[in-house]
Amino acid sequence: MSTELTVPPVTAVPVPRTPGESRTGADAAAAVARASDRGARIVVVVIALAWHTAIGLPAVLSARADLAAPAVVLGGWLLVAALGGVAGAGLLRGSPLPAWPLAGTLLAVDVVVFAAVGERQLFTAANWVWGTIAWFFVLVLWGRRLVGLLFLLTAHSTIALVAVLGYGATTPADLARCVMYVYGTSSLPVAVFAGGAAIAALARQRAATAAAAYALVAEREAAELARRERRERLALAGAAAREVLAELAGGRADPRDADVQRRCVLAAARLRRLIAESDDVPDPLLHELRAAADLAERNGLPIDLVTIGTPPPLPVEIRRRLADPPTETLAEARDWARLTVVAGPDEVAVSLVTRDGEHADPPPSDDRSPSSDAGDPVPDGGGGRVEHLDERDGEIRWTQTRWRR
Amino acid sequence: MDADPVAAVSAQRPVGVAIVDDHPVVVDGVRAWLASEPRLEVVATGDDPDEVLREAPHADVVLLDLRLHGRMALEKLAELAAAGWRVVVYSEHTDPATMLAALDAGAVAFLAKHEGREHCVATVLAAASDRPYVSPALAGALVGDPRPDRPVLSDKEREALLLWFQSMSKASVARRMRISEHTVKQYVDRARIKYTRAGRPAATKAALLARAIEDGLIRPEEIGTYRSQAWSDRPTP
Repeated sequence: MSTELTVPPVTAVPVPRTPGESRTGADAAAAVARASDRGARIVVVVIALAWHTAIGLPAVLSARADLAAPAVVLGGWLLVAALGGVAGAGLLRGSPLPAWPLAGTLLAVDVVVFAAVGERQLFTAANWVWGTIAWFFVLVLWGRRLVGLLFLLTAHSTIALVAVLGYGATTPADLARCVMYVYGTSSLPVAVFAGGAAIAALARQRAATAAAAYALVAEREAAELARRERRERLALAGAAAREVLAELAGGRADPRDADVQRRCVLAAARLRRLIAESDDVPDPLLHELRAAADLAERNGLPIDLVTIGTPPPLPVEIRRRLADPPTETLAEARDWARLTVVAGPDEVAVSLVTRDGEHADPPPSDDRSPSSDAGDPVPDGGGGRVEHLDERDGEIRWTQTRWRR
Repeated sequence: MDADPVAAVSAQRPVGVAIVDDHPVVVDGVRAWLASEPRLEVVATGDDPDEVLREAPHADVVLLDLRLHGRMALEKLAELAAAGWRVVVYSEHTDPATMLAALDAGAVAFLAKHEGREHCVATVLAAASDRPYVSPALAGALVGDPRPDRPVLSDKEREALLLWFQSMSKASVARRMRISEHTVKQYVDRARIKYTRAGRPAATKAALLARAIEDGLIRPEEIGTYRSQAWSDRPTP
């Protein structure tokens, strides 16, 4: 059995799993939703400002003489134009202004304009709030729930109705006209608002589905890679085991020979480790430890690697602090080693036990190494802490790292 | 709990052990392990549990390979445990789920095949007197039990299980936890006894529990929090 034969191909590249990664699917979906929403936002801003300028302004100017308080109506128009411009710019930049103060101002202007427009111009285009104000409601409430818009439109209708009644326009024709105006100027903004929300939601959903499908494919590929790699290692380990068994059976190897015994132990340890590998997709921490175990084994160390549970996604720094101390101890291990990982959602404990090679010192009663940095908080913060204990008693050397959330 | 666990049996006759495995080489190996312990006697071996037990109806402990002829013998295990056989499962399948399933089905103990002679002899001796023995592999499965309805273990019990699984040395665990080896064993065994409430009831589980209470290892109310509706299942022998 050549040494080369025992070199396991370390090919599997673990998919990086950091806490941020689980969010990327949702982030991508949100980005797609934002992009598809942008068109609708432009449309809303253009409609509101164009209607306000192209229809509202000429009507106010041409009917100026006939208004009860033309300066107030025009002032309201200017105020809404300014607010609309600022709110529209904020919306397009992706940083909308606070909705409810703006909505309150719009309703106040609504009241003032109805009061200032006078009875004769009540139902004409010069009373620009009829046609325009609903679009500004849509503009300031964009991206929020529909119920808010319905509330504002109800308030607007109430203001209009009170104004109509206040002006004494109580004939059935006037009331019907009022209802028609409210309906006619509200239905289209509501449709645009609801449609925009629906399209954004759909886009988000599609993008999330696509991201999930992509993650599934990536996971399947990683699993396939891990399986292939495991099969290759099984072939190598199996060949080594077969070789020594064949030599034993053929009488060419002597079971009393220490070297033969060692080969048997190594072959058994490796087969056992392969059997014990149950993770479909290589976890980065387990992958690192497995690679360290493979390396130690290549140098002729029989090693058991037992893992229980799957580690949660851990930041690189924490993974490094978990894996490095046992890996370093492993490099000095002689005779045998037992590497274990016990992982739960809130705790990961890695332990390496090996024979204590240094018999010079009598076993101390409590031998926590001075290098132990138990309880040190991890610098990156937020990810919990990693304890590291190192002790030797003349029999075993025990390195333990432990992360707790 | 300080009493020699096998004082009762060793005074009379050796513990009769039946070995069920479909690999003759394993049977021979285990037989060789047990032969070095005078308090144990292999009374029957074979690859069919029913045949083996017909041959040795007075066997005290059954060592059962969980995988017989390519199939997991969990149902058979449950049947034997329900009938009161003290079954020690030994297997090369040491994934935690399999070990927990074996305990649930009523196995008195679980041994990984590679855990060696010492653990094997100790497990069989303990099983013969209805006492728990938790090998390091099983300790790992208990401490990593992810099931939501798992028994509630105390912090000390979890810590003892974890360190025992990691180090395989009770002396090291004792030093790490600053308690005696005896106390380490008590924590580990108590955790195991709490698992007698998991899974379906079995005569063997009731026997383990009864002996643990008799030994003062655990008080009945300490395990009452877990599946208390199963408390009135069957009389302890």
